[in-house]
Amino acid sequence: MYKQVKNTDGTISLNIIKRDIDNAFIPFDPANTDYQQYLAWLAEGNTPEPADEVV
Amino acid sequence: MSLILDGTNGVTFNDSSLQPAAASPYVLKNKLINGAMMIDQRANGASTTVTSANYYSCDRWYTDMSQASKYSVQQNAGGVTPPAGFTNYLGITSLASTTVGASDYFNIYQGIEGFNTADLDFGKSTAKTVTLSFWIRSSLTGTFGGSLKNNANNRSYPFSYTISSANTWTQISITIAGDTTGTWIGATNGLGIGLNLSLGCGSTYSGTAGAWAGANYIQPTGATSVVGTNGATFYITGVQLEIGTSATPFERRLYNQELANCQRYYENIGSDFSGNTEGSTLYTFQIQLLQTMRVAPTCTLRTGFYFNARYAGTDINILNPSLSILNVDSTGLWAYVSSSGLTSNYPIVGRHQNYSGGISLSDFIAASSEL
Repeated sequence: MYKQVKNTDGTISLNIIKRDIDNAFIPFDPANTDYQQYLAWLAEGNTPEPADEVV
Repeated sequence: MSLILDGTNGVTFNDSSLQPAAASPYVLKNKLINGAMMIDQRANGASTTVTSANYYSCDRWYTDMSQASKYSVQQNAGGVTPPAGFTNYLGITSLASTTVGASDYFNIYQGIEGFNTADLDFGKSTAKTVTLSFWIRSSLTGTFGGSLKNNANNRSYPFSYTISSANTWTQISITIAGDTTGTWIGATNGLGIGLNLSLGCGSTYSGTAGAWAGANYIQPTGATSVVGTNGATFYITGVQLEIGTSATPFERRLYNQELANCQRYYENIGSDFSGNTEGSTLYTFQIQLLQTMRVAPTCTLRTGFYFNARYAGTDINILNPSLSILNVDSTGLWAYVSSSGLTSNYPIVGRHQNYSGGISLSDFIAASSEL
């Protein structure tokens, strides 16, 4: 459902999560409705997949 | 044109519509955006069968459903002549004779931002009366409906209206006394008021017409189901929600103004960018948003596009680039595209292009901050 995103230095982004179904990048903004859905998904006990490697 | 000016009642036009004094200005009165359906950034006039929740056709208007593929949506579907003074409308076409179950819902919706509804004072004793007006045309006749609702989905007002003549544009006006109770978001970037226009709903989402209720109703009980008739059409335009007890003429907005209004919630971006190479494999670049968006937007890469950048005196072209967003806020974003064999810290400037029978400048990122 969701996948972590890596920064260019290889660290995991603390600002963005990627949604698998449409490859959308979702910012961690509490007022973003997609982020609200991600939080609800986490609350159900789910965890995001690890990020792809930065090429 | 006759015009009656009255210090107490305001201005009465020759069609008997009333412009209340001070309470509702003649311009900037419509709480809805793209009520004339002229902006269609996502679909650009194409027809789409609605297979997922919250699908946007004309900007700011999303279509929702509990069963997929029961209707299509398109700007100017069916190619009928719009009402006088309008060029566009939002068209729904039913694709089946769908049985609507108790928990089913099919509807058109626009969420209005709290900054634009706070003056209505909903949830207070001073709540203002509002009037919803629109032009509607359907192949069906009967009683139809919709609702206003709050952010928490625990206050709603189902309303009904009648279409007496099939395939004929009819102007509808509905006056609603503001809700004096319940919790309504004030001047924030959250959802102030939601407007539903029903295409068919079950009993879970149906309530008594003409009264506020502590429930999430989308329509009045017994409203006509558009999706219940295969091939039925439902066209709408000129949608306006304003303060006052009667509908006034539709607020005309210049195209660029309405486009900018829409871009607070959705933008196609990325035709121009600048940045630099980072290491031997990455182009990093920034893109400024065209409008300050409601919140930091969700960004989706559109496909079928070339990443065209000028790097170290050479043009590089990457079809469907591997792109990642590093950071985004309501004014811009920072991203990178993967490549190879680069020298670090070279400046790049770029344009993103669509290659389909020739190269044309286009945007490659869709940024959405819808409510």
